[in-house]
Amino acid sequence: MALSARLLTLRNSPVLLKLPPYLSALCIVIGIAWLFILPLNEYSRQTYVSENAILPGQVHTYFGGSEHNVFRAYRQEVYQISQVSETDRLAALENVLREIGLKVAAQPYRFTVAGEDVEGANVYGLLRGPRADATEAMVLMAAWRNFEGEINYSGLALALTLARYFKRWSIWSKDIILLIPADSTYGPEAWVSAYHSTAPDITATRNVSSLPIKAGALQAAVALDYPVGPWGHRFDKLDILYDGINGALPNLDLLNTAVAVASGQMGIGCSIHSMLSHSDSYRDRLTTLAKGVVTQSAGQATGPHSAFVPYHVDAITLKTVGDAWHDEMSLGRTTESLFRSINNLLEHLHQSFFFYILLNANRFASIGNYLPAAMLLAGSFTVTALALWVQSGQVAVQSATKIGGTETRDVQPELEVAKIGDAVALVPAATTKPAEREMLLPAAVVLAVHLASFLPLYSLNSLHRQYLPTALQATTATSLLLPALTSTALTRRFKISKQQIQIMQSFSLLLLGTSLARLATLNFSLAFVVGVLASPLSFVRPLPGPTAALPTVLGKVGREYRYGLQVTIGLAATVLYTATSPPVVLYALCWYFSQDVGGLLLEMAKGWSVQGVYTSFVIWAVWWPAWVVGGIALFSGGGQR
Amino acid sequence: MKLAQLLALPATLISAVLAIPEYSEHLHLRPLPNGYLYAGFNFTASTSLSAYESQHFRYFPRSLGQILQHSDTRELHLRFALGRWDDESWGSRPRDGKREGGTGVEIWSWLDSGGGKPAVEERWSSLVNSLSGLFCASLNFIDGTKTTRPVLSFEPEGTHRGGGNGMELLHGTLPHEVVCTENLTPFLKLLPCKGKAGISSLLDGHKVFDANWQTMSIDVRPICGLGGDCRLEIQQTVDIVLDIKRSMRPRNDPIPRPRPVEELECDESKSYHASDTCYPKRKEGEMAWSLSKIFGTPVRGSCHVADGDESHDISLEVSPDRAVEVSHGGSNDTLASHEQNQLVRTMRLPDSARQHTDISLPQHIFQDSPHQNRPTLYASRQITGCGQERGGMHTVLHNPHTHQQRIVYLESLPWFLRPYMHTLKVLTHPTNSHDRPTIPLKPDQMYYTPALDRKRGTHLELLLTIPAQSTVELTYDFDKAILRYTEYPPDANRGFDVAPAIIRVLPSTHNTHNTSTAGNEIGQDSYFRTTSLLLPLPTPDFSMPYNVIILTSTVIALGFGSIFNLLVRRFVLAEEVPRSAVAVRVAGVLGKVRGVVGSLKGRLRGGGQGRGGGGVAVGVNGVAAEGDGGMNGVSSVVESRKER
Repeated sequence: MALSARLLTLRNSPVLLKLPPYLSALCIVIGIAWLFILPLNEYSRQTYVSENAILPGQVHTYFGGSEHNVFRAYRQEVYQISQVSETDRLAALENVLREIGLKVAAQPYRFTVAGEDVEGANVYGLLRGPRADATEAMVLMAAWRNFEGEINYSGLALALTLARYFKRWSIWSKDIILLIPADSTYGPEAWVSAYHSTAPDITATRNVSSLPIKAGALQAAVALDYPVGPWGHRFDKLDILYDGINGALPNLDLLNTAVAVASGQMGIGCSIHSMLSHSDSYRDRLTTLAKGVVTQSAGQATGPHSAFVPYHVDAITLKTVGDAWHDEMSLGRTTESLFRSINNLLEHLHQSFFFYILLNANRFASIGNYLPAAMLLAGSFTVTALALWVQSGQVAVQSATKIGGTETRDVQPELEVAKIGDAVALVPAATTKPAEREMLLPAAVVLAVHLASFLPLYSLNSLHRQYLPTALQATTATSLLLPALTSTALTRRFKISKQQIQIMQSFSLLLLGTSLARLATLNFSLAFVVGVLASPLSFVRPLPGPTAALPTVLGKVGREYRYGLQVTIGLAATVLYTATSPPVVLYALCWYFSQDVGGLLLEMAKGWSVQGVYTSFVIWAVWWPAWVVGGIALFSGGGQR
Repeated sequence: MKLAQLLALPATLISAVLAIPEYSEHLHLRPLPNGYLYAGFNFTASTSLSAYESQHFRYFPRSLGQILQHSDTRELHLRFALGRWDDESWGSRPRDGKREGGTGVEIWSWLDSGGGKPAVEERWSSLVNSLSGLFCASLNFIDGTKTTRPVLSFEPEGTHRGGGNGMELLHGTLPHEVVCTENLTPFLKLLPCKGKAGISSLLDGHKVFDANWQTMSIDVRPICGLGGDCRLEIQQTVDIVLDIKRSMRPRNDPIPRPRPVEELECDESKSYHASDTCYPKRKEGEMAWSLSKIFGTPVRGSCHVADGDESHDISLEVSPDRAVEVSHGGSNDTLASHEQNQLVRTMRLPDSARQHTDISLPQHIFQDSPHQNRPTLYASRQITGCGQERGGMHTVLHNPHTHQQRIVYLESLPWFLRPYMHTLKVLTHPTNSHDRPTIPLKPDQMYYTPALDRKRGTHLELLLTIPAQSTVELTYDFDKAILRYTEYPPDANRGFDVAPAIIRVLPSTHNTHNTSTAGNEIGQDSYFRTTSLLLPLPTPDFSMPYNVIILTSTVIALGFGSIFNLLVRRFVLAEEVPRSAVAVRVAGVLGKVRGVVGSLKGRLRGGGQGRGGGGVAVGVNGVAAEGDGGMNGVSSVVESRKER
């Protein structure tokens, strides 16, 4: 009782009422600053292999010698296959796999993305582990075309050579599936989704045939990306791609194993996010971190492995980069050793981290170290929302101390008697009188805005690709006009009060805060980026109308230039508000990465309809409504008092 | 003792029974396509029931006999299996799949049902525990949760008095059991020659367990001649499929290193063929092999121990035009078939115990690919879905023949896999159509015993008729149970093994399709099993951070709860609470109703109840506060209500 009474008095403390904006700002500043300390040695760790069974690099690799001759032949064969039509290509690939001695099957698929049909077929072969019992399998993947659209000549040839070589061993405790998807996004997605379903449902946008051959639970997938033509090209480093759909990451142990095998056993350097020269300095680590955050927040596929990660199949892509002295045999031996390590696994990869941010190929920040950044950002919205809620319940106090401004000192507040037990006290009536909150209108507005958000979400993801840029232009125009128009309508038609505006904003920020906090546990980067971009919404207060009283601090000068000041503040707020709007940010992103707007929108639509990327949902159904509600509050002119 | 009493002894045709030697052994060799070799070892020993009763064992293993006597077992079938039979390229299964088990260990047995269910369970437990010790296998883990009582899937193979009444069938599987040398050694110990002489000398752990498919079986059954002399027969078989190339690797260099460049066989027709570019030539035919190279040792001597054993020891099933060379000791000989164009050639090992026998075949290029019997049925079974909450089972059965087939489909599922029988769908469609199966197929019979948590697994048995040349898909959904913390094995994240489904193809009634069901004699049923499955269950993180997270979350939840409570509630004095308009109105209506009711009943009830909408708390608390107010004088009760 005593505690709650004390808290009650604290609730009316003027210091506490003024604190939230500062607290909110502090949360944002600390949250952003948090990321900048992560690259420091004290806040990140050296990677280590956590699962004892993996034993990376402990085996002798025998891939080499005459296998090189076979590899060259397969590379020529792949080149010849690339010259024929698609149907012939499938038949030829199936034939090569069959000659190697694998069980071969093909899987045609069709997706409809942004009004266009994407058709293709995956070819795959199953190498039955001679003594395995069909309960587990690992996937060796070489997409016909890599993520950039180049034909993966050497990668595919290497995968074929390895499959032929693996066939001779009797050590495999798991089956090995050699998967040749037609491309690096749709193909793997079609294959892995069909692998995990009885008979995939045929929908308007998706027609994936079921797989005739399956082999137990997939333990890991490794994709090779080595798009070098029939005459070969040596490489410098292995770039390890690890981002899955929606920022899901493979177990860190798989990555560590690849790095340990490549750099420890074979002497091939590894890079992350194409950071070819990484001096392990603070600056380089920060750049890697930033690239990681950007890639993860996009949530899009980054390679053929990405489709596997949401199905809890740990997957990475080994991509060759640079120009130096490592040849295909080194990559082959790396892959051999990597598969031997995965083969050693007794359990599904689970020991190490699933949530991490890499700063270098062998340095990472774990979830405990980085999560507070996004949580603080999400918290800043919640703090503001709670503050607005409390304020909305104290309209009387507000009018007496703040808005009343100059006259307050002269007026004696109305007092009344309060008794707690035997104690009797005189308190201002305003502190005890509850203000009735009118919540219907604010709730309806917030709900309506959220419902309206499905319009851009739908139109930007299902229209034909040629209309996508127009749709974004229309969305931009509507988005920019919507807050002002709605607030005018609300003030004129519904006579929205200041309290209702506060409640409306409070609802919206509360939703934003909780959504981002929850999102932070799934996709940290997306939550962080949206949190940063939406952070000004915490400080949106209605722009003062022409009749509004000015704060006393401005004094006499302020009163003289009151009109000019108001216009300046209003203009600045409007510009800042517009600049942080979702569509404008999308345009800015396109400009910064010098990418075509249509291309970006197509990628997003593709991710949404094929791979279930929820980034556009977060943008349009979480951030955009919060932004619109913020704008309604901003332009409401403070509402009716 | 009991077994003898159970078996009737009609005293005729004793001589026919006597003609069966007490011990015989046989090895069948058959090369399979793509460079594989099937080797089927068969060891049969028998003893008369009278000798068995009086514990007089000669070739019948005493250790096993005593276990069977102790547990009143009438018929025993024990299987150890590893690997997969490749239906597509190897054709139908040896011995119609009757001597084959699912991955791991499988046991089924008919026990004396005297004494009721507890007595049978006692016998079963005694049997599996004793066998566990005898065969170094974890058979003792076959408890109530892993035991089922199939109805349709198995028939006794022996001759039992009373047509099988008075006995009960129990069936148990251990899909996770890894069969290894430790199981082979006790298996060989049961043989009269203990793997030292005769064909059993070929059974070396290194080779047997390097096989692509391997199954060991022990079957004990009573057989009665038509005359009525009954004997107890034990049949031990080892069936293996070896990769000829892999098995022939020298023991001192077992690593499949890349061959030297000179030894590569290249396809020189390729346009890009060069000294450093070699497209591997397609493997054709079968490489030269010999018993001693494949098994690492020739057959040492022979094991002709029983009287009257004149049978052939080894039979070889190769095309008639192939040359086969046999070497006894130092002398070489050609093994020809007894009749022209006969596929099977047989030979008898010399009686001398010192002579070594070897069979060798030269390389052979097939003119046309060797004919393989088509399997009776193709089956595959998979778990679908991802995530740790739900899943689905998906079985595909494909009948390649032009006649319909009746099958019994048996599944025994662990209790933590909870199937939903209402989602069970059996759909069929003709194989050649590309549509998905849509025609529902009604099972002719269905036996289903639902699982009891931690006590009993699910038993599902379906009798299906699969139409000619069609595919049947059987699907159902299931939930994954959450186990108790201590019920997880040390390798919890591996997943849990689900036993293979057992499919029994009932004898075909169509006599006109002999060729397509070759290998499956008319009137004989055949068995096969799907692969075992791995079921990932929700697994707690057995680590320190997990515990820390749980503790921290609890503390945060406690703190958050109280602070949240204080923030969203306003504490005011009880008298100050205005009664909401709705509450007043509802109270008024209620009062009227109460008045009417009261007048009807003739008595008034004290104490008001105001309930309704947003004013619930206000109404109730307001009334309560009024009651309390008089008691305390000062209304110290702080009344809370939800903010509107």
